[in-house]
Amino acid sequence: MRVEYINPFVEAAFNTIKTVLGVDIVRGKLYLKDTSQPVLGVAVLVGLAGDVEGRVIFDMEKTTALKIASDMNGETLTEMDELVKATIMELANMITGTAVTRLQDLGFSFDLTPPVLFSGEKMELANTGVEALIVPVDLPQGRLEINVAIRERI
Amino acid sequence: MIAKGDLTGINVSRKASGLKPTGEPIRVLIVDDSMFVTKQITQILSSEGFVIAATAADGKEGLDKYKELYPDIDLVTMDITMPNMDGVTALEKIMEFDKNAKVIMVSALGKQDLVKKSLLLGAKNYIVKPLDRVKVLERISSVLK
Repeated sequence: MRVEYINPFVEAAFNTIKTVLGVDIVRGKLYLKDTSQPVLGVAVLVGLAGDVEGRVIFDMEKTTALKIASDMNGETLTEMDELVKATIMELANMITGTAVTRLQDLGFSFDLTPPVLFSGEKMELANTGVEALIVPVDLPQGRLEINVAIRERI
Repeated sequence: MIAKGDLTGINVSRKASGLKPTGEPIRVLIVDDSMFVTKQITQILSSEGFVIAATAADGKEGLDKYKELYPDIDLVTMDITMPNMDGVTALEKIMEFDKNAKVIMVSALGKQDLVKKSLLLGAKNYIVKPLDRVKVLERISSVLK
């Protein structure tokens, strides 16, 4: 997978989180996954289809999701209710929208699917034919993993 | 005692006041499928004196509520990407129903083509997410002029 697909998502995550949460984040070491991988507990998936195709998953533990949603809403949220889910999906939407604008500026043309949120324990994710690059980012609220699998449409 | 209008005049000269010149509140319909965004817009506008007359979770519901409450809606905030009926279609149908409707689009980045289409269809302005309180009130102020 070409690194130019990844950087817009990382930059968008940094900028969006800084704007929305008012915190700086620390980027962890990138790693590749081409086999099944565990999901931390709450995952939002946004699909891409066009000149390039694939998906981006924003993956975090439930406690991290609750803390992020609490901070974004300015109130303490303790259950994975509709507001928490809507908040986390909106964060994924904002990051992806910003990244897509940058990719479109680079000449790629594609559409996004609406975000889908999965939550549960002991979930696994499997890819078919696309290696996933994972960018861990550490926030005061916990770790967020940006899991990107994109390829050029054949 | 300081009247609310005095405070508004001092602090928010470039921001939108939620009151009409008559002193009545400006009534807003928020159309957005995200509970989070609806809550954000509600908080920003309520704090300036706007009244949230109704909310809708998709374009079809937004269109229905606009017609139901007409002419008592002064401003509509319209998300672009929504299930059932998207915001651009809902805008088009609202403008067919009321050519004087004041609709402001709310968009994530990456939807420039749809924003341009919305402006051609009659939307008065647009707001890009993540929402910034000052920018939201400035854009709304420009629509209400």
